[in-house]
Amino acid sequence: MQKQVFLVLDDGSLLKGIAFGAVAPTVDEAAKQAEAGIGEVVFNTGMTGYHEILTDPSYIGQLVLMTYPHIGNYGDHEDWSESEVPGIGAAGLIVRSVYRGAVPAGRESLHSFMERRGIPGISGVDTRALTLKIRTSGNQKGMIVSPSEADTLSNAETAACITLLTGYPDMEGRDIVSQLQERREAALDQGLDEGKTAQKAEPARYSKKKNLHVALIDFGYKANIKRELIHRGCRVTILPAGVSRREVDAIGPDAVLLSNGPGDPAVLGGPIQLASDIGKNYPLFGICLGHQIISLAFGAQTYKMKFGHHGLNHPVRDEESGRVYITSQNHGFAVSGEALLPEGLELWMKNANDQTIEGIRHRKKRIASVQFHPEAAPGPYDTLWVFDEFLSIAQGGN
Amino acid sequence: MPARQDISSILIIGSGPIVIGQACEFDYSGTQAVSALKEEGYRIVLVNPNPATVMTTPGLADAIYAEPLSADYVREIIAKERPDAVLPTMGGQTALNLALELYEAGTFSEFGVEMIGATVNAIRLAEDRGRFKQLAGELGIEVPNSALIGDLEAALEFKGQSGLPIIIRPSYTLGGQGGSIAETEAEFAELISNALAVSPVHQALVEESLVGWKEYELELVRDKADNTAVICSIENIDPMGVHTGDSITVAPAQTLSDREYQQMRLAAMNIMRKVGVDCGGSNVQFAVDPDTGRMIVREMNPRVSRSSALASKATGFPIARCSAKLSVGYTLDEVVNEITGKTVSSFEPALDYCAVKVPRFELKKFPHGHTQLGTQMKSVGEALAIGRTFPEALNKAVCAAEIGYEGLEELDMGYDGLDKMLETAHPLRLWAAYTVIRREGKRAIAALSTKTGFDPWVLYNLSEIAEVEEELADAGSLHSGSNSGEPGFDLLLRAKRAGLTDRRIARRFGMSAAKLTALRLSLKLQPGYHLVDTCAGEFSAETPYFYSTYGEIDEGDPLGSEAVLIIGSGPNRIGQGVEFDTGCTLASLSYRRRGIKAVMINSNPETVSTDFNISDRLYLEPVHPEFVQSVLQKEGIRKVVVQLGGQTPLNIAEELADSGIEVIGTSVAGIQRTEDRRQFSELMTSLGIRQPRNLTALSVVQVHEYAAEIGYPVLLRPSFVLGGQSMSVAFTEKELELLLHTQLEVDEQHPVLVDQFLEDAFEYDLDLLCDGQNVYIAGLMQHIESAGVHSGDSACVFPAYKTSTEKNQEMYRVATTIARALEVKGLLNIQFALKDEELYVIEVNPRASRTIPFLAKASGVNLVDAAVHVWTGGNLEELGLCTDGFGVGTPLEKWAVKEAVFSFERFERLDPLLSPEMKSTGEVMGSGDSLGEAFLKAQAAAGSTLPKEGAVFVSVHDKDKATILPIVQELSEMGFHILATRGTAEYLFTHGVFPEVVLKLHEGRPNLADYLRSGKVQAIINTPMGQFSQHDDEQVRIQAVKLRIPYTTTSTAAWATLQGIRYARTQQKLVRPLHLSKDLSRN
Ligand SMILES: Nc1ncnc2c1ncn2[C@@H]1O[C@H](COP(=O)(O)OP(=O)(O)O)[C@@H](O)[C@H]1O
Ligand SMILES: Nc1ncnc2c1ncn2[C@@H]1O[C@H](COP(=O)(O)OP(=O)(O)O)[C@@H](O)[C@H]1O
Ligand SMILES: [Mg+2]
Ligand SMILES: [Mg+2]
Repeated sequence: MQKQVFLVLDDGSLLKGIAFGAVAPTVDEAAKQAEAGIGEVVFNTGMTGYHEILTDPSYIGQLVLMTYPHIGNYGDHEDWSESEVPGIGAAGLIVRSVYRGAVPAGRESLHSFMERRGIPGISGVDTRALTLKIRTSGNQKGMIVSPSEADTLSNAETAACITLLTGYPDMEGRDIVSQLQERREAALDQGLDEGKTAQKAEPARYSKKKNLHVALIDFGYKANIKRELIHRGCRVTILPAGVSRREVDAIGPDAVLLSNGPGDPAVLGGPIQLASDIGKNYPLFGICLGHQIISLAFGAQTYKMKFGHHGLNHPVRDEESGRVYITSQNHGFAVSGEALLPEGLELWMKNANDQTIEGIRHRKKRIASVQFHPEAAPGPYDTLWVFDEFLSIAQGGN
Repeated sequence: MPARQDISSILIIGSGPIVIGQACEFDYSGTQAVSALKEEGYRIVLVNPNPATVMTTPGLADAIYAEPLSADYVREIIAKERPDAVLPTMGGQTALNLALELYEAGTFSEFGVEMIGATVNAIRLAEDRGRFKQLAGELGIEVPNSALIGDLEAALEFKGQSGLPIIIRPSYTLGGQGGSIAETEAEFAELISNALAVSPVHQALVEESLVGWKEYELELVRDKADNTAVICSIENIDPMGVHTGDSITVAPAQTLSDREYQQMRLAAMNIMRKVGVDCGGSNVQFAVDPDTGRMIVREMNPRVSRSSALASKATGFPIARCSAKLSVGYTLDEVVNEITGKTVSSFEPALDYCAVKVPRFELKKFPHGHTQLGTQMKSVGEALAIGRTFPEALNKAVCAAEIGYEGLEELDMGYDGLDKMLETAHPLRLWAAYTVIRREGKRAIAALSTKTGFDPWVLYNLSEIAEVEEELADAGSLHSGSNSGEPGFDLLLRAKRAGLTDRRIARRFGMSAAKLTALRLSLKLQPGYHLVDTCAGEFSAETPYFYSTYGEIDEGDPLGSEAVLIIGSGPNRIGQGVEFDTGCTLASLSYRRRGIKAVMINSNPETVSTDFNISDRLYLEPVHPEFVQSVLQKEGIRKVVVQLGGQTPLNIAEELADSGIEVIGTSVAGIQRTEDRRQFSELMTSLGIRQPRNLTALSVVQVHEYAAEIGYPVLLRPSFVLGGQSMSVAFTEKELELLLHTQLEVDEQHPVLVDQFLEDAFEYDLDLLCDGQNVYIAGLMQHIESAGVHSGDSACVFPAYKTSTEKNQEMYRVATTIARALEVKGLLNIQFALKDEELYVIEVNPRASRTIPFLAKASGVNLVDAAVHVWTGGNLEELGLCTDGFGVGTPLEKWAVKEAVFSFERFERLDPLLSPEMKSTGEVMGSGDSLGEAFLKAQAAAGSTLPKEGAVFVSVHDKDKATILPIVQELSEMGFHILATRGTAEYLFTHGVFPEVVLKLHEGRPNLADYLRSGKVQAIINTPMGQFSQHDDEQVRIQAVKLRIPYTTTSTAAWATLQGIRYARTQQKLVRPLHLSKDLSRN
């Protein structure tokens, strides 16, 4: 049977929909442990890739609204997960229509996957209206909530939701990375080793490069970053976000890659410090949050965008070659304007639509980073070459 | 980088007449290319002999040539205009092939013309199936196992290796022409020889069968800097084995995982790179094995296509326009996305809706076992609808296709019939699947999917529609008898969200649609309109392109009562094609030039009218009363234009007027007096105008009675039809009986009109403009074929070529009388027949007719603009079209001929005999100083080359022998070898012509068929003997069509052919641009 569920926003709006995935908490349950179903509402314009999006660690603390109306069409498969750890990924899913029919052999339905993974969903929402609202008034906080009885949310419940949302931390100034670390450790205790599962990558498909040892610092890395490195013959060691300079030295990598991840980069004092430190001696690269951390480490600033970039169709121009690539993106913060870049950094890539910074390089050091997701998953494969570029910089080319 | 400065003028090649597989999508792409390049300051030369198009409207391009698309004529144009470059990618396969031919003939190098948009090499790589296969293989992309063959032996060898079924695809043809699936040993050899015969290079690809696989298309653009974007993905609902043009399709792709989609996307981009299309659009087609996910690339088109037009409308990204910009050196990030006005074109549209295309077939017109779809395209048009969900879009699209269904409805049919439809690729297969689901629910999905190859996702969505219908049925029956027999708000909302029309819902409650609509409105259940914005709401959009949905946000403020709504003509069909789209488009431009806001509603994605740049607002919605009314309500518009979109808008005029909407121009009462047979007869009688005698029969007995009373031959037509559908002639009582047996239904509900059939009469078309008082005869055209061949199928000549001035004057007078009596405001079309010096009115159409665009071009007067002038309160004298209340249009050159173009090649074994039922799909024009020149050009443009020498075959009915004699005599004097059947030969012999006697098919061999096949006949004059012609004649006609041998079926046509041949022998090839004789734009 179809169950009613509600989406409450911090501005007081209340949207009714139909539940799928994990059962959303009631407001009382949510008050005790506000995790599933609550977060900043962001819209993603990708027409495919809901599975990868749901399992992308960068979405911790966010409810993802898919602007494409039919979601779940082709089912789900754990092999597509960007993180296999429950709790590391989106906090909830908002859609216009969820597919509940048969999926191809060997896959499971979106409903069942989300149920297993503990992610609540709401369908039947006017996602376009909500998207336009976010576009005009910026991201809002919201929660997917089950009514405690019958199929309406009482006024008291709604009020309680709003209180809860008001108390819920703003994305700006929020450090989610440390929260992520806790979840990783908890998962490890339960025998779920993300590092291992991501090794299930196909064998190297690229021509022989010198086998580089890359330290991937985990702010919530997507499994496909690791896969792409392995495909290129790299040995990858995952280091936790809180790693120290000494620990990095101890494993002596050929290059360090700061991963993507959730939350506000500006508050990540430790990692910023680490980046400026190791940037002196190691080839240093960053993706998304990693890019922001590097930028901050070398004197740039970051800011919270109105509603960010979340989708699979963002054009990025390489300012050197003039080439434009279609990229996968997922970020709510960005590095402040070109004019504000510090001396040492130079602009590498720009968004062809809104001219925001998409990539930087260090003028002297072997340091480069990108705001978008070259590893795709989901999204186009146009910028996989960025990994080759990183590795070639690491090897002293450039 | 800025646009190229080293070229200043560009030749754009159009696609010629509308045929199956090449329709008005190329008017759309060509028109976009013209405007995109003109605004860059280039001088644009256009060649396209299709007068029905928007692109050939004087004023759009700098020089427009309505001349044949053949190497010799285009060479003349190049010599005269000396363009620096030629853009061949906007005119379909026709333009590409022609460009290759000109290139190979050295014409481009001779005149220093550069090909832009696609290189010769790229065209060859993509089009040559063998080389394409090799190229894909080099990229590591799988292709179907296949072999390129040039003869039967090679084909047999392939069959030995791969076994049947085998797909046969001729090289260099369009719309899958000549392609087939060989399933049995018996048919293999014949199918191979057919394929080789239609291929201009006498080659075909034999290929492993992928029938039942999922079929996809990707639309791409790429610039010279190698920036590439996939604009749209399209998933075919019908699996492989049904031509994409005949498939119901949905955009974006629905059932590919991100990985599958990205791999397909990458493969498409790599193919485009490797083929070398580096400044324009392409499409790449794939097949995916539903069981294993194995992906195979099928083909690529290095040009814009029907699918790219569809993709442009489905996404809001104008592919042709963008491709044109890329062809002159821009890069994608330099081309602004006009929809958002902020973002650039190097991005991939994100949709937040589904766009579903439903093809439209003419199964009634092309019967005889052609119901099974295959690899050869058969549909004549298509409708696109957008909905928030697939069920909504699908139901809307079916409704928009105007094929007699209000949406995907249950069929009233038993399981035997349903199974047959499900197992073959029947055009109604999806309806059959829906019927089963409606009866059995979701549990039927798995088995249905196996049987049909429809993806379970599609069938599941059908089950959601079925569930809503079930609930409606329950609610309907629950309340029946009680007084609350109506749906509640929630149920009604669900039904509307599933795309069910009011009519369809009302049926479940046994109430009228009007009542249900009233109920719905009282519940405040109105559609909301969403913007098609290319970006799923991420950026605000500037271009107002809308679709409707229910229960969601409504975007855009009303334009208000000063605006006008132009009702489009819906999907192309025989009898209603691009000519009506041209009228609607020009009207919109004309209103806007006068500062009046124009809103367009139309469902045909191929058209210019559904380009978001044409109108102030565009609604891509079914041209159906409910959807039209909703748009009127949304915009607060009170005025509609119904005269330009053909019969479709006219049919809903009354309903709109009843609800208080003002029908612009001729009043609804005036319209009815022409449309209603009885009122029309009364009007003619009261004006003292002669009509063929006619009676309306309500039973079989009456038909016989009336036929006897009127006298044979009689013309029979069901009273409800349009476009001459199901009209036939009975010459004898016996033929009448047969017709009543096989083709006609008669009873009280289905009255049949019995008309006196005017045999051997001349037919005329007259179009006029009237402002209520002044009458401007836009043109009087005389048909070449006699009455009895539908006016849309007959060649026609402007001005009349064989009538006395008195008769012309009489027709003007009658036309003026009718126009004034009907108080026409705007356009009116009258068809006359002249028999034994007596004038009859056959029909009056209170609207723009098919011939308006032709006349506008042939006479150099923008007739639609003049009509809009009248509708906005002006008169015809101000325009200089009338003096003292009257005026007559004359041709720019001395003669203009319009010739009909058919798509008979699509339907093997179909007799191409012309009749009162229209069968042509398109038209071309030719003009010149002599009728011969104009006729010759029209024939050449229609694809038939009049011979300068060789042999002419003659076989005519006794009554035609005397008329034919002088024609044959002259041919013989010119040195033509005359062939004739025995009877005709004897007649000719006694009159001093000495023909060679050729055996009829049944008389032995070698016979006429052998002569035709071995190329011994260059033209045929064959007048048939009544409706049910001999099997022989039929075979000859079929052969002639296949071999493209000029073929005339009337003595007048033979005479015109003679004129053409005479001109051909002068070897002259003059080309002249179209121009305006009257500039109306100052008014
Ligand atoms: N190997 C095949 N197996 C099954 N169906 C095929 C195969 N090749 C083509 N078809 C079907 O025939 C249609 C037309 O073939 P295509 O080569 O695309 O011709 P066209 O050039 O007219 O587009 C396709 O849309 C597809 O449904
Ligand atoms: N009484 C008639 N005698 C001879 N031919 C006729 C007669 N009525 C119609 N026709 C032929 O049939 C064609 C179609 O008839 P028309 O009434 O014009 O129908 P439509 O609405 O399809 O245009 C005409 O173009 C003409 O050639
Ligand atoms: Mg094709
Ligand atoms: Mg007619």
